[in-house]
Amino acid sequence: MTTRPRLRKFVLTAHVVSSVGWIGAVAVFLALGVAGLTSQDAQVVRAVYLAMEPAGWSVLVPLSLASLLTGLVQSLGTKWGLFRHYWILIKLLINVFATIILLLYMQTLGYLAGVAAQTTLSSGDLSGLRSPSPVIHAGLGLLLLLVAATLSVYKPRGMTRYGQRKQREQRSASAVVV
Amino acid sequence: MTDPPPDSYGGTRDGTGVGPDRRSTTGPPRWVKVFGIIGLVLVLLVVVLLLAGGGGHGPSRHTSSGDVGDQTPPSVVKASGGLGGHKPPAGGHTP
Repeated sequence: MTTRPRLRKFVLTAHVVSSVGWIGAVAVFLALGVAGLTSQDAQVVRAVYLAMEPAGWSVLVPLSLASLLTGLVQSLGTKWGLFRHYWILIKLLINVFATIILLLYMQTLGYLAGVAAQTTLSSGDLSGLRSPSPVIHAGLGLLLLLVAATLSVYKPRGMTRYGQRKQREQRSASAVVV
Repeated sequence: MTDPPPDSYGGTRDGTGVGPDRRSTTGPPRWVKVFGIIGLVLVLLVVVLLLAGGGGHGPSRHTSSGDVGDQTPPSVVKASGGLGGHKPPAGGHTP
């Protein structure tokens, strides 16, 4: 199953844009997390955690799902396949893993936003808000996504057993035709 | 996934660039094994953390909850009829 060149280019563009956009959005979350953890200004700390939840639902989650979906279409719609090359398979695993962790972690961002939204925040509440977890999650997420991006560019060699079998089948099929 | 390089996979002319992998062997390359080990450790770490946190990836493990107290944040109340994704962890937000 292969897609037409024009459609393939469109899906490829969507995949690159969503994947790179996801990396950028996670980098912003890392910066916000650091600001929330280190800022001495209570308003800044509250603003950071208030902004994270809506930004997560409106930017991070859509970009992660778009990256996953376009990646699936792109691989299945071309001769690269989804399970033929190790680098594609590993990218798929990274994408699925990061998306699941993100969706689970949205609970925490919702909780932090809820605490930050309270008008009577004491200094104790603020220190409770100063969680290192957004920094840890964004940092590890950024690392994973950069690995995936690097795999996309370098495309290291190595075919799975399934890919090797498919390749042999294609060779024998083309030999029959010749 | 970006456009395939023209030559690195054998330089086929079918527009995909996917060609015979001359160095393919029956076993996975070394870099795949390294990635596999790292991935396995990462997944095990997440599973252990999930089990240690009572099966949820909620806020109880991510916040220094001792300072937050027993209060239920407004978003939790709002979310009960909305997205449904902001439920507090099983143990609540107490230390």
